[in-house]
Amino acid sequence: MKISNKFLFAVFLTGFSIYLVFALNPEGASRILLNLLTFAGIYGLSAIGLNVHFGWTGLLNFGHASFMGVGAYVTLILMPHAAGREGEITSTGLPFIFALIIGILSAALFGLLLGLPAIRLRGDYLAIVTIAAAEIFRLLVRDLESITGGVYGIINYTENLQQYRPNFINNFSESFGFSPSQAWVCLLAWVSIFFTVIFLKRLNNSPWGRALRAVREDEDAVRAMGKNAVWLKLQSFMLGAGIAGLSGVFLAFNYGSLESTVFVPLLTFYVWAIMILGGVGTITGPIFGSIIFWVIISETDRLAFILFENANGQQLAGVRFLLVGLLIMVLMIFRPSGLLGKKEELLLDVK
Amino acid sequence: MSNSLIEVKNLKKTFGGITAVDIKELRFNNGELTSIIGPNGAGKTTFFDLISGFQNSDSGDIYLKDKDVSNSQPYKIARMGMVRTFQLTKVFDRMTVLENLLFSGSEISNDSLFKSVIKSKSQRKYEENLKDKAKNIMEELNILHMADSYARELSGGQKKLLELARSIINEPEILLLDEPLAGVNPKLADDILSLIKKLSNEGITILMVEHNIEAVMKISERIVVLAEGSLIADGNPNEIRTDRNVIEAYLGKDND
Repeated sequence: MKISNKFLFAVFLTGFSIYLVFALNPEGASRILLNLLTFAGIYGLSAIGLNVHFGWTGLLNFGHASFMGVGAYVTLILMPHAAGREGEITSTGLPFIFALIIGILSAALFGLLLGLPAIRLRGDYLAIVTIAAAEIFRLLVRDLESITGGVYGIINYTENLQQYRPNFINNFSESFGFSPSQAWVCLLAWVSIFFTVIFLKRLNNSPWGRALRAVREDEDAVRAMGKNAVWLKLQSFMLGAGIAGLSGVFLAFNYGSLESTVFVPLLTFYVWAIMILGGVGTITGPIFGSIIFWVIISETDRLAFILFENANGQQLAGVRFLLVGLLIMVLMIFRPSGLLGKKEELLLDVK
Repeated sequence: MSNSLIEVKNLKKTFGGITAVDIKELRFNNGELTSIIGPNGAGKTTFFDLISGFQNSDSGDIYLKDKDVSNSQPYKIARMGMVRTFQLTKVFDRMTVLENLLFSGSEISNDSLFKSVIKSKSQRKYEENLKDKAKNIMEELNILHMADSYARELSGGQKKLLELARSIINEPEILLLDEPLAGVNPKLADDILSLIKKLSNEGITILMVEHNIEAVMKISERIVVLAEGSLIADGNPNEIRTDRNVIEAYLGKDND
C-alpha cells in the first residue's frame, strides 16, 4: 500500500498537536490528553457519520446533534438510571449492550422519520429543516421531564457500562493517574471508530457507495438512470444517524450525567468543523481532524495564557476563541480540501 | 396498438398563463427515429419532461408500452426501458468516467446495501461483467482513454458522449435525446449522429430534440414540429421541408 504525502502530513500534524499538549502543560499532561482523546474519539465517530451524509451523499445535515441525542437518551432511558428533579430512580432496565443496540436503531429510525418528509428538499432547505428538527428534539427532551428528567437530566447510569470495565484498564489508569471510567469510555469510542472505519471502507468502493456519490453529484441523472434517489438518500441518512447515535451514547457516558443542553446546535457545528478539517468525503480524515480540533479547542487557553501573560480571565477567553478561529483558518488555507480530502473532489461546494 | 411504444392523449401542461404543452394525440412507433423540432419555447423539453416523469402534467394520459405512466416517478419510467438525456448535460462530475458508467449500468439489486456489506460473490462477478461492458462502450465511443478521469475534466462534447454512453449501457428500448449536438464541434457532431443512426438501426426507438435542422433532416425518419406547445406538423423530412405551417412558425407569417 502506498502511503500518500497527505496521510503523512496528517499523521505529523496530529503527532505535533499531541506533542503540544505535553509542551504546554508541564503538569498533568497525560490526564489532559486522555480527556482530549476521549472527546476526539466521540466527536470523530460522529463526524464519520456526518461524512456519510454530507461527504458521500451530499445531504446538508445541520441537525446531527439530534441523532446523537436520540441515541443517547434512548439508551440511557432503557437502562437503570435516575432522572428528574427528585432523582426518581428506575432500577430495572436492559443490560447495556441491548439498550445500546436499540439506541442506535432508534437514532437510525429517527433519521428515517425526519428524512421521509424532508429528504426531497435540496441543499440549504434540507439544512434549515434539519437544524429546526434538532432544536425541536432538544426542546421536547427538555420539557418531557417525566421521561428525560427535563432540565435536571439523567444521572446514575454510568455503572451500567462501568461494571464491564476490564481490570487492565484499572491497572493502566492507576499508573498514569487517569480516571479509569474515562479511560474505558475512551477505549470503547476508539474501538468503535476502528470497526466503523472498516465497515465504511467496505461500503465506500461498493456499488452502494457509488450510488450514493452519484446522488451527491446529480439526483436528476440518478432518476433518469432508473434509480430511486430518495430511497438511497434515506438509507444514507439512517446509516449516518445510527453512527451518530452510537457516538451520542459515549458522549453521555463521558459526561456522567445527561441533559438536553448537551445537544445544542454548537455540537453539530463542532462536528462539521471536524469533518471539514479532516477532509469531506474521506473515511479516516475525521479521526485526524478530531484530534487536532480538540487540541486547538482545549489548548488555546494555555496558549493565550502564555502569549499574553498579563491578560485577565475575561480577556483570555476572548483571545482564546480568536485563536481557535485563526488556527482553523490557517489549516483550511493550506488544505482547502481538508487533511485527507482530494483536491479533485473538493466537496465543499453545495448545489 | 401494439406498434406504438409511446402514446400521448390530450396532454396539457401550463406554467401560470403560458401553455407549455397542449397535444391532442401523438404516437411514436417501435424502432422509429423521430426528431422533435420547433422554435425556442415550443415546449419540446417540457414534452420530454412530461413523458419521462420529471414533470407532472396538468391533464392527459401518457402510455408507455400500453401502460399508463401519467405522473409516474422518473425512475420507474426509466426502468421500463425509456432512458433520457438532458439539454444541459448531467454527468456525475466528481466521479470517474468509468464510475459514471458502472453506476448507470448496475441494476438496482446490485446496488443494495446488504450485498455491498457482505460483498457477495455474485456481486463481484456482476461488477466484473459490468466493467467489461463499460469498457466496450467507452471504446466504441472513443472515451476509453479518459476512463479514469473525473467526468468534470471532460470537454463539453466528451460529456455529451459520456451521457450517451451512460444511457445505452443498459440497452434501453427507447432513448430520449435532448439536444445531443448542442455545443459540440462539427467532427464530434458527425460521430454522435452516426452513433445515433447506428443505435436506431439496432432497433432502439429514438426521440430526439435538436436545433440543428440540417442534421435532423439527414437522419430522421419522421419529424414532429411543435410551436407554442401544440403539434403543427408531423411527417417525413421531405413533407416537413415544404410544410407551410412550419415555415411560418420559424420565419413568421407571410404578410401579403
